[in-house]
Amino acid sequence: MIWFLLAPFLLIASLAQAQDPDPRLIRAADEVALAYVVTGDSEVDAASEAGLRGLSQVLTDRTTVEPGEPIGINLDQDDLSLLTFLYWPVTEDQPQPSPLAYVRMNHFLRSGGMILFDTRDGDIAGLGGPEGAGALRRLAAPLDIPALAPIPGDHVLTRSFYLLQDFPGRYYGRDVWAEAPPAGAEASEGVPFRILNDGVSPVIIGGNSWAEAWAIGENGLPLFTVGSGLDGERQREMAYRFGVNLIMYVLTGNYKSDQVHVPALLERLRSEEVMQ
Amino acid sequence: MTGLSFDPLLGWPLVAAIAGLAVLVTIWSLWRGLRGWALRGLAGLAVAAALAGPALESGIRNKLSDIVILLDDRSASQSLPGRTEQTDAALAGLERQLATLPDTEIRRVTVSDAEDGTLIGAALTRALAAEPQTRVAGVIAVTDGQSHDPAMLPKTAPAPVHVLLTGAPGDWDRRLVVEESPAYGLIDQPVTIRVRIEDQGAVPAAIAASPAKLRVLIDGEQSRSLDLPPGIPLDLPVVPQHAGQNVVSIGFDAPVADTPELTDRNNSAAIQIQGVRDRLRVLLISGEPHAGERTWRNLLKSDTNVDLIHFTILRPPDKMDAVPVDEMSLIAFPTQELFLERIRDFDLIIFDRYKVRGILMPQYYDNIRRYVEEGGAVLVSAGPEMSSVESLNLSPLGAILPGRPTGRIYDQPFLPRLTEDGQRHPVTAGLPGAPREGSDSHWGRWLRMSQVIPDSRAQVVMTGAEDQPLLIMNRVGKGRVAMLNSDQVWLWGRGFEGGGPQLELLRRIAHWSMKEPELEEEALLADVSGELSVTITRRTMAEIAKPVRITRPDGQTVTVELAPIGPGRFTARWTAPGPGLYRMTDGDITRVMALGPAAPREFEETVASGEKLGSLPEVTQGAVLRLSDGIPSLRTVREGRPAHGQGVSGDWIAITPRGASSTTGITHRPLLPGWAWLAIISGLALAGWLAEGRGWRLRRT
Repeated sequence: MIWFLLAPFLLIASLAQAQDPDPRLIRAADEVALAYVVTGDSEVDAASEAGLRGLSQVLTDRTTVEPGEPIGINLDQDDLSLLTFLYWPVTEDQPQPSPLAYVRMNHFLRSGGMILFDTRDGDIAGLGGPEGAGALRRLAAPLDIPALAPIPGDHVLTRSFYLLQDFPGRYYGRDVWAEAPPAGAEASEGVPFRILNDGVSPVIIGGNSWAEAWAIGENGLPLFTVGSGLDGERQREMAYRFGVNLIMYVLTGNYKSDQVHVPALLERLRSEEVMQ
Repeated sequence: MTGLSFDPLLGWPLVAAIAGLAVLVTIWSLWRGLRGWALRGLAGLAVAAALAGPALESGIRNKLSDIVILLDDRSASQSLPGRTEQTDAALAGLERQLATLPDTEIRRVTVSDAEDGTLIGAALTRALAAEPQTRVAGVIAVTDGQSHDPAMLPKTAPAPVHVLLTGAPGDWDRRLVVEESPAYGLIDQPVTIRVRIEDQGAVPAAIAASPAKLRVLIDGEQSRSLDLPPGIPLDLPVVPQHAGQNVVSIGFDAPVADTPELTDRNNSAAIQIQGVRDRLRVLLISGEPHAGERTWRNLLKSDTNVDLIHFTILRPPDKMDAVPVDEMSLIAFPTQELFLERIRDFDLIIFDRYKVRGILMPQYYDNIRRYVEEGGAVLVSAGPEMSSVESLNLSPLGAILPGRPTGRIYDQPFLPRLTEDGQRHPVTAGLPGAPREGSDSHWGRWLRMSQVIPDSRAQVVMTGAEDQPLLIMNRVGKGRVAMLNSDQVWLWGRGFEGGGPQLELLRRIAHWSMKEPELEEEALLADVSGELSVTITRRTMAEIAKPVRITRPDGQTVTVELAPIGPGRFTARWTAPGPGLYRMTDGDITRVMALGPAAPREFEETVASGEKLGSLPEVTQGAVLRLSDGIPSLRTVREGRPAHGQGVSGDWIAITPRGASSTTGITHRPLLPGWAWLAIISGLALAGWLAEGRGWRLRRT
């Protein structure tokens, strides 16, 4: 564990260097580009990139968010402080990132960034086959992750742009996990989450292989099949809606939760006017 | 003094038992017809008496002198014209008379100003407690009777308490009484101060019938004047104009009369009302979700004093998808309500990367412009859209923006720096970690900004790439506009290259827009530390600060030079000569400060009266006399007799000599020595035996 003690010093040393940041990362900061972790598995990486490109396309088509080209992140080298959202597909044989990378990731999570962990095993999990949970545990153990709980039905993620009940990807129906509401918090308040970073959960964990559902090829057509027939296309649409909601949640925090109160605030202004 | 005392050797029960036994034996002897029964009984009682240890006690006593407590009131109200001389003369006369009385000591007690006024009650209680009760022969207080601690007055005293009042019978005074004044008030909401004019003493008839001309000044500015007859309470509405201290001074000129009123220091009052803002209402409009949006939300939502109304354009009008409306969580932007009907309810409107997309109608922008000119605030956090054709600058709002975008965007890392103005401006002055000459500390860099040509009246407090203006602040009409030409302040929050004071900077910009007094560029501050010591601070954007002229309550002026202590900050320490309302000005800013109470408690009531001393003189048979009738002569009377009266040469007051004494020694001598007791007991026993024995009978027969 000695490397954990050393790590902050290494980080400070690296920050002190005033060299120009990577132009790709500057672009990420300027354009809210979506980023994914490069795992080394070329198939997975290609799917991540295609998936985020597909999601960026949907965002650009339907919302005011117009992300640039997705960016692949090498956790051991790249500075995360310019990023907002990081997609991390979990693979069995992914090398463990360096201690310094974990220091950077923890800082990223604390200062308002979000990582979406995707174990991509929604089809086989729980059937006794090889699943990503072990790899996820290995990769995420050094991160400062708060207590997690399955996303409740009143979470702001269910209404940050579209109204959603569940969060399908290429697979369907697995629980998706986010930061647990603090004990005793009133769920009816709408914002049962801590106030830090506007109550945004630093991690979302699931196994629905979202990137594969979002992925589009150069020709603009989907790269992977989702379900079958019309039901499958409906599921792909829902996956896109989850992607849109997720990015809105990352960028606007609990904005949609607050909006519940806006009519009440306006009403108060009105009544005070009458009183005066 | 001599007396008999007992000191039993074996304890009283045993002595009593022996005496009882003796009586029983005597009775038995009598019943048996023994001749020596009386002698037997006497012998037994003598044993009991011997065991009781009778002794003679004698002591030596000394006569003690009497103590007269002489209290003089030297509080500020006693410094009114003539009163000091009256007090001195009375004290001298009384001391001379007391000196002629035998065995009489004087204890002098002087009461001076305390924080809570004149504390005669406490002084009397303390003086009485310090002396033996049996020796106090009298208390004489020379005062104007204006005591401020009636609860501390002793209920009674062991000797007469006389009160000699200073002042003249013709004394009168008109004063201002503040019956009710709030310490806090919401800005722009009237608060009520209740005042009354009170006449005291022998007010000339002409004055009593005439009202006082009240002048009301708020922060040194005349606000209104009105006539108020004495005795009628008036509810005076006052509107706090700004946050922080609002000094309301109310006063009237001394009425003109042949005998002037005692003092004009109770003719005015300064009331400090802390202006408090109602909850601040901030309208945040984000043109698009972006990485820095949550920065604003974190700032505004963590401030419990802010009601945030936030709108984000999640979907522009030109984009559509086929999703049915009931599957979407979007609501319409209530533009008409926000920008036409409710706009004046907001304290600040923030445009965060807002693009002109046709959502707001031109008349709404016009309305926002009017809102600012009438005292509102707009803060623009501009991304690259500011340099595009969708720039806010091209809307009617452009007229009040503090800069014109050129269309050029700097897409390069740059270090935000404070300009010279920025080092002076309270919004940016002292931001932690600011880059300085010869210091390693620096902020993280930002990566993009728009080029803007600042308005000539605006202040550029931060610069970015190629020393182009980054943060520009300006005043428009009565309102304020601030413009940040980059959307990347969030990088500071993320800790990129070490980050920077992102929350603090945004907080200060927002609060400066809302006219937070602590962030005013031009300010003259008086920090009162201790009683009368004042630290005067001038905050200014200018190179130098002009000297401050201070007008004292009596109209004299003093000029104080200020010394620089940092960029845009000048300070001086000054000690005021006394409490009161001071006005300071450096030509541009005028401030009123109230040091201590404007009408000190001492001068609230000044007409001499014995009422405040309660029933103490009456209870103790003492007198309340006016010194203006002459210094009374001093007599002695016995305790319990009336201690004042009218004599041939005028009033007299009396003290009661107590005749107290002290015992200085005691001797203790046994009544009879042990052998004498032995002889008595054995003699009686022998006599009894002989009487009953044969010899006695032989001689008889």
